[in-house]
Amino acid sequence: MCESCVDRIFSQGPAPCPVAGCNRTLRKQRFRAQTFGDIQVEKEVDIRRRVAKIFNRRQDEFETLNDYNNYLEEVETLTFNLLNGVDVSATESKLAEYAAQNAAVISHNATLEYQESASQEARQAAEKEETRLRREAARREDEDERRAREEGRKEILEQLTHSNKNAVEVVKETKRVEVLKRRRAAQQAKAPATATGGGPSTKPSPFIIKGLKSTTALSPEKPYDPFGGLTDKRSYYVLQDHYEHPWLDQARTDPHITAGGYSVKEYCARSMFEAFSGLGVFVEEEVAGRGDASEGSGALDAVATAVAAVKAEGSGS
Amino acid sequence: MSEIEKALAELKALMKYRADHLGRDEEFRGLGLTSRKNLCLHPSVKREKSGSVVDARCRSLTAGFVKEKKERGEDVELCVYHDVCRLGGITLGLAKRSQNLDLLEPHNLIPPGVWTLDGMLRYGEQQKQCPYFTARRMMPFCNVIIYSYHYLLDPKIAERVSKELSKDCIVVFDEAHNIDNVCIESLSIDLTEDSLRKATRGANNLDRRITEMKSTDAKKLQNEYEKLVAGLKEADEGREEDAFMANPALPDDLLKEAVPGNIRRAEHFVAFLKRFVEYLKTRMKVLHVISETPLSFLQHLKDLTFIEKKPLRFCAERLTSLVRTLELTNIEDYQSLQEVATFATLVATYEQGFLLILEPYESETATVPNPILHFTCLDAAIAIKPVFDRFSSVIITSGTISPLEMYPKMLGFTTVVQESYTMTLARRSFLPMIVTRGSDQVAISSGFQIRNEPSVVRNYGNLVMEFSKLTPDGIVVFFPSYLYMESIISMWQGMVSLSCPVKVVNFANIPKGILDEVWKYKLILVETPDSQETSLALETYRTACCNGRGAVLLCVARGKVSEGIDFDHHYGRTVICIGVPFQYTESRILKARLEFLRENYRIRENDFLSFDAMRHAAQCLGRVLRGKDDYGVMVLADRRFQKKRNQLPKWIQQALLDSDTNLSTDMAVASAKKFLRTMAQPFHASDQEGISTWSLADLERHKEKVEEEKIRELREAKRNSARNGAPGDDFEDYEMEAAMMEIDA
Repeated sequence: MCESCVDRIFSQGPAPCPVAGCNRTLRKQRFRAQTFGDIQVEKEVDIRRRVAKIFNRRQDEFETLNDYNNYLEEVETLTFNLLNGVDVSATESKLAEYAAQNAAVISHNATLEYQESASQEARQAAEKEETRLRREAARREDEDERRAREEGRKEILEQLTHSNKNAVEVVKETKRVEVLKRRRAAQQAKAPATATGGGPSTKPSPFIIKGLKSTTALSPEKPYDPFGGLTDKRSYYVLQDHYEHPWLDQARTDPHITAGGYSVKEYCARSMFEAFSGLGVFVEEEVAGRGDASEGSGALDAVATAVAAVKAEGSGS
Repeated sequence: MSEIEKALAELKALMKYRADHLGRDEEFRGLGLTSRKNLCLHPSVKREKSGSVVDARCRSLTAGFVKEKKERGEDVELCVYHDVCRLGGITLGLAKRSQNLDLLEPHNLIPPGVWTLDGMLRYGEQQKQCPYFTARRMMPFCNVIIYSYHYLLDPKIAERVSKELSKDCIVVFDEAHNIDNVCIESLSIDLTEDSLRKATRGANNLDRRITEMKSTDAKKLQNEYEKLVAGLKEADEGREEDAFMANPALPDDLLKEAVPGNIRRAEHFVAFLKRFVEYLKTRMKVLHVISETPLSFLQHLKDLTFIEKKPLRFCAERLTSLVRTLELTNIEDYQSLQEVATFATLVATYEQGFLLILEPYESETATVPNPILHFTCLDAAIAIKPVFDRFSSVIITSGTISPLEMYPKMLGFTTVVQESYTMTLARRSFLPMIVTRGSDQVAISSGFQIRNEPSVVRNYGNLVMEFSKLTPDGIVVFFPSYLYMESIISMWQGMVSLSCPVKVVNFANIPKGILDEVWKYKLILVETPDSQETSLALETYRTACCNGRGAVLLCVARGKVSEGIDFDHHYGRTVICIGVPFQYTESRILKARLEFLRENYRIRENDFLSFDAMRHAAQCLGRVLRGKDDYGVMVLADRRFQKKRNQLPKWIQQALLDSDTNLSTDMAVASAKKFLRTMAQPFHASDQEGISTWSLADLERHKEKVEEEKIRELREAKRNSARNGAPGDDFEDYEMEAAMMEIDA
């Protein structure tokens, strides 16, 4: 519809659609300029905008890629139904139902999306600024060089006019000075560049392939474990409540002994621990592994013999 | 004759020589591969002019599904030549085929030996077997294959043609001075409004075909759909000869997973394509230049049409699958759509090293918009990287590849061996000169400020005229651009040359323009952007050179003539390079590339431009010297060449005397005259012996010398080590000492 017609018909507020058979009421405000040449595509995009607002699940919410693809196809079919007028009412209701059910997820994903696009925009702006600065720097560098060259030439002329040295000599001399200067300048330029990480040439690679999927969802953080997974669980034996040791019976009951806090249980636990400690350690292997890494083999040997002695004791008892 | 044909003929001669001297035939196969257009035998298809039409028609006669249809008894045409080839010898009711083809196995479609393209065609005609497919299928069994760069660098083609080459192949890029441009072209795409319109039409056609198929053969579509759901990919799909197109992205960057759900169904995908094309059309409406990164393009695309990046990446693959399912035969209708799909895949795959540039107007002055969307690759290293990764030996060589350091930088590799060789010539058979001034001592240059000044134009005209007087047979003149060539020619036309001054009062003898003066001595021919016109001009030029009239060919340093056309012997005795052939620096694509080079490879704009200009200048100069018995004059006519002298290839640099680097026209003429006079002396093949052609005795003598040298070196090394006493070298000692110091401290 042309602009003047819109003005004419809808300037008095909402009015019925002028197309025969269409009984909708339209408002002037809702008219807008067409983006696409094909009106069909324009309509499609309108529908898509609505659908996309509701169905905004992300790939990382799905267990497998296949699930995600199925979801995508379902959404696409839904959109197609709306577009081609295939059971519109059912689809609409489905849409509304889904929106109501998953309001929380939808709004969460919308914020995520918003944040992502914002951060991306910021990154792009930063990148643009950076390239501008770099370009500026390169231009300045070129200018400096040109100026230096010009100056050198001027100097030659000056010297030629004022001194009575051999012309070739003069030229050579000034050229040499110039080269030195340039080299110094280059070194100076290089120094800060290396200090700040080498500039753009040390970028990891000329192009990065994005779009690798990141399907691993973050698991909730575990409580902090100061030992890093190390436990004191015994793996070689189970401590019994009672051991049959007749010579200890007295110690269990005699108040002379128990009054001081002596506990047979403690004794048993300790001796069991001592008997089994070091069973999982293979000293020879460990020493061989360590030997080529470090130099202090003398100290190691001492440790090894000590451990071996303990082990021998353990097996002996 | 194409370069490939020439190389094959050379190889054939070499193998014949070997056979003669070894006294036995070696088991050796050498083939050349070129487009279907050049290798087609089908009586009607081969008459088509455009290569893409030939490709499309060939596919429609040879595709797998067409054969299936035929077997089902449907009335479809098949290519006789291909059919025999495919079956590898199983005769299919062909009375002509005798039992000798029955004996042929699939790996023995053509007998061993070196086959030129012509030879292949003849053999194919004789045996009724398609030369193109013979070459394609025989590739894994060949010792030497010669084909164009694109078969290896362009991922769309390489994926299908060069996949079977083994890892230990030696890859030689010959005439590789332009390799970076080929790399870039293979990943760049231009879209115009026209192609978008055609793409829409293609999409609509697809839509129609889908609805048709739904009503007749829904099963097929369902099959395809199920395959896509399962994410299965046929292993041999990529290599299939009749596939519509291959994925344009490089193999490393392909996303190997199932096609996204929202383009799985055929109708969904077509709608998707339509939307994308419509979006591009909208973008084309903008009337100012836009250059943006793929990332921001994708962002905008998503905001406007809700097309995500991932389905976009699968566009090319999905389209191929759809075309196969629909069994489309008139593939040329879908070319534009294919282009759009290629674009989609590339833009979604690569973020760095690419740029989108939209130019609404063709030139600065145009008022009618004719928008072009360039998707340009800026980094030559991207396309060639898979080649370096895959093959362990890659050789890059050319007669005019200089300066050498530029190539490793641009293409992102490190050389193992890097060598520049000189020429072995028995006499000084070419005379390079740098002419910096005209006879009137005014500096000549094609620099932007002075290129149209009358004095410069006249001096250039005089240069051409003088050389046309003194040179026997052909002269080739290279200009930096078509634009400048046209303007300078029209200025010459109205200009009076210096050498016939206006002192003649006789009105019958009105002073003539420069071109008229040249016309007295030589025919004048001009290269145009139209390739057919140019080839006609070339033919006339050759005729004129052959019958003694002589001719001047005016052409452009980056045109067709400067690449691959030889002016050997009398076809070119003088080559004049008028002005430094710089690229058009206002081009936005070039600007973007320069910036990219500076930021990523630390190559400065001026360095690159000068390098690029000099390699083209060298290429032009090299046209004239094509063999050891050839001779010619090379004139570089620009003041600026004086400083760029050291960027010429080594062999030209060596022949360029210091005294010849700053000449005026008259001095150059005198020196050229002297040179041509020396060259006119009789020159026998025996003069070259021992210098540029070696006999067996010479070779043995050289070998002895080299060996002696080696022995001497070894002895010296031994003596040195004996003197030092310790086997380790100085460096190690130094390190040891440093370590000791550290310990002490």
